Amino acid sequence: MMRGLEDQDKKDDSHRGVSGTVRTENQVTDGVSRRSLTLLDRLRLCQDAWAPGGPWDRDGAHAALWGRPAGSFLVLRDSASQPILLCVATGGESGHVRDNPIQRTGAAYQLSQSFLGFSDLAQLVVFYSMSRDVLPVCLFIPPWLYSLTDQPQSNSLSQLGPKSWLCPTSDLQPDHMTQRAPGTAMCTIQLTAANGALCIINPLYLHEHGDDWLTHQPTSPQRVNRPANHRRERRLSTTRPWSGAGLLTKRAISMEQESYSSSPDNPGSPVVQATPSPPTPTGGVVLRRPSRDASIESLDRTWSQDRTATSRPPSDPKPLFSPAPQSPHRVSWVEDRVWLSKPPPPSLLRPPSLEMDSLSISSMEEEPESVNSPSHSPHPSHRLADKVKHRLSAVGLAIGGLGCPQKRLTKRVQELSKRKGGLFAEAVTGFVEMTLGAGFIPGMTGADLLQEVRTALTALRETLLDCPEIHILIDSMADTPDGELDAILELSLHKVALKPVSAHLYTCLQSCWDHDGSLRKLRENQRLLEGRGVEELEGTPGAGVPDPVTLEKIQQRWSAMHQSYSPSRKVHILLKVCKTIYHSMTANANPGVVYGADDFLPCLTWVLLRSDVVTLQLDTNYMMELLDPTLLQGEGGYYLTSLYASLFYISSFRPRLATRQLSTEAQQSLSQWHRRRTLHCNQSRRSMNRRTLRRPGHSEMGREKSSYAETETGTGSITDAPPAPSSVVAKALHIISEVVVAVREEEGSRAEGQGSPAAQLQASPLKEKQITVEELDGHPAGSEVDWEGGVRPWRCVVEGLESKEGQASLHRVHEELCARSVKLDDQTDTQISQRRSEWTGLPVGD
Amino acid sequence: MTLRELKVCLLGDTGVGKSSIVWRFVEDNFDPNINPTIGASFMTKTVQYQNELHKFLIWDTAGQERFRALAPMYYRGSAAAIIVYDITKEDSFQTLKNWVKELRQHGPPNIVVAIAGNKCDLSDAREVSEKDAKDYADSIHAIFVETSAKNAININEVFIEISQRIPVLDAGGGAAGNGFKLRRRPSETRTRTCC
Repeated sequence: MMRGLEDQDKKDDSHRGVSGTVRTENQVTDGVSRRSLTLLDRLRLCQDAWAPGGPWDRDGAHAALWGRPAGSFLVLRDSASQPILLCVATGGESGHVRDNPIQRTGAAYQLSQSFLGFSDLAQLVVFYSMSRDVLPVCLFIPPWLYSLTDQPQSNSLSQLGPKSWLCPTSDLQPDHMTQRAPGTAMCTIQLTAANGALCIINPLYLHEHGDDWLTHQPTSPQRVNRPANHRRERRLSTTRPWSGAGLLTKRAISMEQESYSSSPDNPGSPVVQATPSPPTPTGGVVLRRPSRDASIESLDRTWSQDRTATSRPPSDPKPLFSPAPQSPHRVSWVEDRVWLSKPPPPSLLRPPSLEMDSLSISSMEEEPESVNSPSHSPHPSHRLADKVKHRLSAVGLAIGGLGCPQKRLTKRVQELSKRKGGLFAEAVTGFVEMTLGAGFIPGMTGADLLQEVRTALTALRETLLDCPEIHILIDSMADTPDGELDAILELSLHKVALKPVSAHLYTCLQSCWDHDGSLRKLRENQRLLEGRGVEELEGTPGAGVPDPVTLEKIQQRWSAMHQSYSPSRKVHILLKVCKTIYHSMTANANPGVVYGADDFLPCLTWVLLRSDVVTLQLDTNYMMELLDPTLLQGEGGYYLTSLYASLFYISSFRPRLATRQLSTEAQQSLSQWHRRRTLHCNQSRRSMNRRTLRRPGHSEMGREKSSYAETETGTGSITDAPPAPSSVVAKALHIISEVVVAVREEEGSRAEGQGSPAAQLQASPLKEKQITVEELDGHPAGSEVDWEGGVRPWRCVVEGLESKEGQASLHRVHEELCARSVKLDDQTDTQISQRRSEWTGLPVGD
Repeated sequence: MTLRELKVCLLGDTGVGKSSIVWRFVEDNFDPNINPTIGASFMTKTVQYQNELHKFLIWDTAGQERFRALAPMYYRGSAAAIIVYDITKEDSFQTLKNWVKELRQHGPPNIVVAIAGNKCDLSDAREVSEKDAKDYADSIHAIFVETSAKNAININEVFIEISQRIPVLDAGGGAAGNGFKLRRRPSETRTRTCC
């Protein structure tokens, strides 16, 4: 039913007119590309990847699937020795793979244990990726497949092999996910209810009970008689095989509405074999097609016009928007975008088990693209709210649906907050008035302010939990995990208490921050750093950054995040941004590369440098302080911490690029120096009373190994003398250089306008060197070594390292430099003392 | 069965394989359908230990020198820290010692420290001897294992040992990481209102 239009065109000439019309209308009205592919199309395109022929046999497939994520699968084409096999990795410690033979009965493919038939393998795969039926797990479709949007990419699909198919990490841009639920599997009926949830109905149930419970609706002004009757005619009867046509029609409408990628059914539609008894002849479907297609055509038109025209021609039938089913027994509800964009949970009928504690939204997908949101959803913010609510009330929680206890709880909290004379209502009012009344007090930090609010929120929650009505409700929700309950209560509280005050809080926050001047620093450093690429921000080569389009979308998310009053929702949006960033990072990555924090933090920083850091700083504080502390340990907490850390990194950034350069340079020189030294020692200076890097006890060994050291160019590492002097020395060099540069920065900032520290360093390199050398007196430079000019002082430091006196001198350098710099700021000071303590802790020269 | 959430922080130089270790640990029963996470920076895995379920919330940190100052934000509140070094890089072992010191000074009290010498599959290029590392770990009462994320050696062992060292929940339920406050609270209040 919801097959892509291309598919439709290819396969069914007789429908060309119909779909062509629809397409034109949509293009005119929406400018939406109709070239987007459905999942089914994609699967067909890369059928060779998941259903390899040729040399692939059962053993090969098992080997390839072993240890793969549960649900990974390959289909083996039939051969002389075996039927068609669906090999599925079931996950778990054993990495078990299970074979499921597929039978082909006439035109239908079906798993041998199942009664559900499909007209081709791709449809079968799509179905079992949504509903596990007889399988132990749902099939896992690699996420990257969803993200392919345009033709060129898709063309490469046909060249993929099973290896790439099974690789879960070839993620591309998920943001362009336009695929919609592939609905060709006629054995399921899917329809979209008013709230956007997707409904999958077991046809066996319909077969048993008929479908009029679905169409029965007590009040619907939109409804006219004709379609209802029309549908009633189609009601399942024992004498006629059921085809689900009426329902599918509705589905088509709603899917069109959402994605414009669906189309009327095609003639090769799968055969329903709801029970083994009456195998539906394909002819039966064909016979009935005309009327069905007519209805689809008119409905599609109606729908398009409905969307475009402000006034509908009175002659047209009203659209058949389906209301939510009245009694959704045995119906799985899945939140729409969750379902549409990511592989669904292994079993749709599983009880909800969302990990609210970690606020994990990963299974949640991107917001609807802006192309369809304006027309589709007149109240985007409201939609989002709904969605979050859905999310919070967990995927599939709406099983049996409407009026779920979670929603009731939210509602009850709101009622209570408005009940005149109620304890909770008074507490809320008191809180709101107090907060709005309080202005900015000089000296107060943003954190103080927000912590007070957090305390008040917690107190409000206690008050709420004391209400008997809430008690009863919570006790009735024994199935709901505590974390989830917590989250629902929090969200409800945010709505009644935070919403009225959030704008005011932001104003106060802004004043606090303005006062302490750190926002200015943040902005300055942003300007300083914004030109840097991700590698200059310590990122790993190979990890990608968001492209301009993605970056633009991130900006939109940031602004949505800013506008939300609830810290939980803000975090939720933050997670989406982080997910987008991750996808950009991995877009061109080699399979098997695991990107961790080493890669993520620079990338996040890169994004932040291209965003409104000041607003983000306020938002971050808002979230950090107001979020329920129990939520801070999970995924939301992690990425919030990363955001905070990254902003801190920017605002506290000290342009110490010079340090880096010096340090690297010094290390290189050092290793060369060390090489010459040891070589020298070995050759002729054995008896000379001079220091080398090696400790006396190791000198014998050192000489033996010196030739080895010589061959080891560039590293300067020595394997025989723990702790390795070179690393100790390098460390010391680094410490010193940092100190020196820090001092120089201080001086530089006083002598204004002298350019970057690096420039200053070049302009007046001698000063510091002299100090250092002076301080290290008694340790003359080795005259036999010809030194590169720039690192002389460091060599002296190195010389100094070999003895306790040397270390003492080093300390003196530190002291002196600190004293000389007159006023190091606290941070530098702390840093230096920290370094110094690290340094003294190093096991050198004992 | 009690479910305990244990925050575990990963520390160590960049490139020593922190995230690969977690990935290895998590992927065994990694089901993207059930609990997918955004990326390897944060991952979770629940394992059974005696009559408790331990849900590890694994926080990765950036190992670059420049980001070191940010680490306290990450290790705050951790029940355990896994400090990873690369057995083929002496420097990374020195960094590890600094992490140990920092945790001792500023980390959460009673944090369980595990030391993982990663890349033990590359023993040809070894720079840190197993004995030295083991001696050091013993001297600070840390868990020690040499691991190979590549060959999946000793990965689960690290976490099993962490589970073993996590203090047992006392009957009062005072320890951090449990998630029962909400239910407990209403029942407490209920007893109050009933009387």
